[in-house]
Amino acid sequence: MEPQYRQGILRFANWQLWGPGLALIVLCLGFSLAEPRFASVENFQVIADRSAIPLILAVGMTFVVLQGAIDLSTEGVMAACSLTVAMLILNSRSGLDLGWLGVVLALLPGLAIGFLNGLLVTRLRVPSFIATLGAWSVALGLAMLVSGGQPPLIQDQSLRAFGLGRTWAVSNLALVACLVLAFGYVLQNYTRFGRYSLAIGGGEDQARLSGLPVDRYKVAAFAVSGLLAGLAGVLGSARIGLGHVDIGLGQMLATITAVVIGGTSLSGGRGGVLQSALGTLILAVLANGMIFIGVTPDLQKAVEGAIILSASLIATWRLRSRLRIVR
Amino acid sequence: MAIVLSALGAQSSVAAPLCEKSQIRLVNSMREIAQPYHANLDKGGRLFARWAGLEQRYVLQLNQGDSDKQVSLMRGLLSTNPKCTIFNVEPNSDPVIKPMVDTANRSGAWIVTHWAHGEGLHPFDGNPQWVAHVAVNSLDAGVAISKILVDAMGGKGGIVALQGRLDTDPARKRFAGLQQVLKDHPGIQLLDQQSANWDRTAAFPVMQTWLAKYGSQIKAVWAANDDMALGALEALRAAGLAGKIPVVGVDGIPEAIDAIVKGEMNATVSSDAYYQGSIGLAMGVCVLTGQVPLPKAWPNERREFYLKLQVITKDNAGQFRGDPQASAYVPEWDCANLWSRNTGKAF
Repeated sequence: MEPQYRQGILRFANWQLWGPGLALIVLCLGFSLAEPRFASVENFQVIADRSAIPLILAVGMTFVVLQGAIDLSTEGVMAACSLTVAMLILNSRSGLDLGWLGVVLALLPGLAIGFLNGLLVTRLRVPSFIATLGAWSVALGLAMLVSGGQPPLIQDQSLRAFGLGRTWAVSNLALVACLVLAFGYVLQNYTRFGRYSLAIGGGEDQARLSGLPVDRYKVAAFAVSGLLAGLAGVLGSARIGLGHVDIGLGQMLATITAVVIGGTSLSGGRGGVLQSALGTLILAVLANGMIFIGVTPDLQKAVEGAIILSASLIATWRLRSRLRIVR
Repeated sequence: MAIVLSALGAQSSVAAPLCEKSQIRLVNSMREIAQPYHANLDKGGRLFARWAGLEQRYVLQLNQGDSDKQVSLMRGLLSTNPKCTIFNVEPNSDPVIKPMVDTANRSGAWIVTHWAHGEGLHPFDGNPQWVAHVAVNSLDAGVAISKILVDAMGGKGGIVALQGRLDTDPARKRFAGLQQVLKDHPGIQLLDQQSANWDRTAAFPVMQTWLAKYGSQIKAVWAANDDMALGALEALRAAGLAGKIPVVGVDGIPEAIDAIVKGEMNATVSSDAYYQGSIGLAMGVCVLTGQVPLPKAWPNERREFYLKLQVITKDNAGQFRGDPQASAYVPEWDCANLWSRNTGKAF
């Protein structure tokens, strides 16, 4: 297996990072020229805040995609964990008040669903597309059941203050996202899990033949993805102040888009969390910038699509190598 | 008064009962019940069923946003006892109404529909089983909240507007209502408008972006529904502006009403889900028990009309908090008063 890149982010020849990075810089420059207010400190804070939840999701998704699988359960997991956290801490419905313990417990459904996804894929040999699609519905259905027409409102003021607040001029959610990114980076580059994930995506059969415990690492990847989707759901709830079945509406596709335009290949074996972070930033800058330069809402979807296509062309141009089959 | 009218209504009834009362079956067909609006539709239906002594005959059909499923659920149920079955339908999408009405016409079941339906389709055009269509005038809703917003701003300053999904009828008409009011108030400047898909989490970053772009130019926030208004409100809260900038929405969901009581929102407009979830059933029971004539004998404006909307502001928000009692609706369920919220012919 050809190693994708060795240690370190500062390998200047690494086009995998520079491609999407360049796309991001071009976008930022373009928006700043068209509308100088875009390049204000306040707006960069807004972009950081807007990227926080997508970034957490993208880090989790990256490991699954690196292994050549996919996790479609994101929105269901977010909904389940959103309702869980809103029911466990001080709220308008359940009478419980577990405080920060409740926040930690609310991550468990995410971890459990991820774990279950992993078992479905590895033990029962269900394709990840179907297994996680099913998990999405199940989790969303459970969340709807709990919501039952009376979404629980979060009344714990410390969680609300955390969700809406800033520390050193950066939103708390963005700081959490940075920690998650650092965690993902370490996981990818300094642990067996990260290295073997690349190996599994590059060629699962070879990985198996060379004696890697492939199934175990696949389960771990789904578990990480579920856990982080759960975290995203919890943080989203802290921000808007209730357990909401639609907390993840549209996030699954956006996350996969971010991962792919960052340069992580859907067929597995290429890419990484930093690329996904760049992909996330590209999407956030795009959504923010289009409002800034005043693209009419009717056109935004079309413009977004066109720019995503061009960005992914720039970002992955080098991957269009001689012998690579595009699927 | 109501009693006298109902006695008159009973006297003028044209037919013997079409069904034994105990055979009547009440069906509410809607999307889901995870959100407050839909849960309240269901609650309204149950309130009516209990009041009418038909609690055991109440059926709830949920299609989870799947229009085909909404039709097939209806057809499945009508394999038995169709002629004594009343469907009160919150259509999953406009086009689903036609197949449901056709099903009713064929099977002899009775149907009342809500919101909007496809063009060129009317209950009075050869649809004997389509009792009525209770439409909601989204333009009026948009106008009502916009007027309150403009007044709260003192007639001048910049506003931003959060639109619903742009391809939907309520989104377009509510926004048209805003534009209509703005035409009369040149002092108000619409700084920007964006679609946030009716969605609370989508509205949050849009509002943040506006705050970064326009800052203190923003004097008020207009939203096409309460969910987006509340998402924007949280973004205002993060910026320390909650309660300092007027915010309006539409739907009258409980949280929005709480926000109005707290002074963080200024107004919302409600079509009254409890009423919508029960009035169709009440109409059906009145027809089946012979207390009103068959729908085909009704004048057109009683079969397709706009519902009176409730404008909720700080002055009256208190009375909309919490679940209502059946007694609040009993006068309107009376067979002589079925059209008490009829504001005239729709479309």
